[in-house]
Amino acid sequence: MKINVVKNVLQANDIVAAKNRQVFQEAGVLAVNLISSPGSGKTTLLEKTIPALADQGPSIVIVGDLQTTRDAERVADSAFQVTQINTGMSCHLYANQIAESLPGLELAQAYFLFIENVGNLVCPGEFDLGENLKVILLSIPEGDDKVAKYPTVFRAADMVLLTKIDLLGAFSYDLARVENDLRKLNPTAPLVPFSATTGQGMGEWLGWLAEQRKTKVGAQARFIHE
Amino acid sequence: MHEMSLASALMEEIDRISRQNNILRIDEVELRIGVLKQVVPQVMEEAFRAVSLGTLAEGAILRQVEIGARALCEDCGMEFVPAPDDFLCPVCGKFSRNLLEGDEILLGSLTCVT
Repeated sequence: MKINVVKNVLQANDIVAAKNRQVFQEAGVLAVNLISSPGSGKTTLLEKTIPALADQGPSIVIVGDLQTTRDAERVADSAFQVTQINTGMSCHLYANQIAESLPGLELAQAYFLFIENVGNLVCPGEFDLGENLKVILLSIPEGDDKVAKYPTVFRAADMVLLTKIDLLGAFSYDLARVENDLRKLNPTAPLVPFSATTGQGMGEWLGWLAEQRKTKVGAQARFIHE
Repeated sequence: MHEMSLASALMEEIDRISRQNNILRIDEVELRIGVLKQVVPQVMEEAFRAVSLGTLAEGAILRQVEIGARALCEDCGMEFVPAPDDFLCPVCGKFSRNLLEGDEILLGSLTCVT
């Protein structure tokens, strides 16, 4: 017997992601999914970003890692709330894991929710978590050829941060190549040279977050927070 | 490397359908995969074998059907084949988000005993 199904294999995840998105919307919080290779600076970005956003509003962080609570500990002081998801052998977060961590979080008290995905440029691109925005970090030491090698995440990106830009001189690196490759996949995502060390790009990043929050959660957020 | 994640999601879907239809054994699983998913068939085969061990689908044939990519240029209306790393229209050079197919991963059908 043959049963015709024709169903998206990722549908179960997508349904939960849609529910998460609704929870974020109702809470008036902007949810940002941070995706990159291991070691490209996601946690460092959060260490610098959360205190700098404090005058706009509090941030909550969900950290996904195979093992340890090290990343969560690094942002624990500055974030309003932090929760760690240990994924074991899984190389990305699922919408379900986010949904399960939400009851412990006071989302309506926060302005920003940062989800630090497991370090990986492949699988996190396939699994919607319900975020408003996908931000991809690509650090200079990783090389200028990575956009074309991992096209799926860059196609889905709302912003690309070129992190560790202060190391540019230490490598043979072609910035134009990154920009060219990105524009074949994604004409709109801003490509921002960024350094947590020198502060380059920080203003643009923070301004973009504030703007995105206004447009993505806007009126709803004002109603809750005022 | 994402084949394992996708195979796990596929297996969950197969489990769900098996329960709904009181399936006793699965002989063949048809999986339709868009080329833009960049799935490597041999790796998918191995991943499926691993996740289906001890399930109703253990030993089932995984038939992978590739779906080509097609996009429609928003600017000049030309239909073209985008590459995984290049969505520019070959005629006018403009970027197109208008993907008609090639980015999907679908469970097509199950051949089974109920």
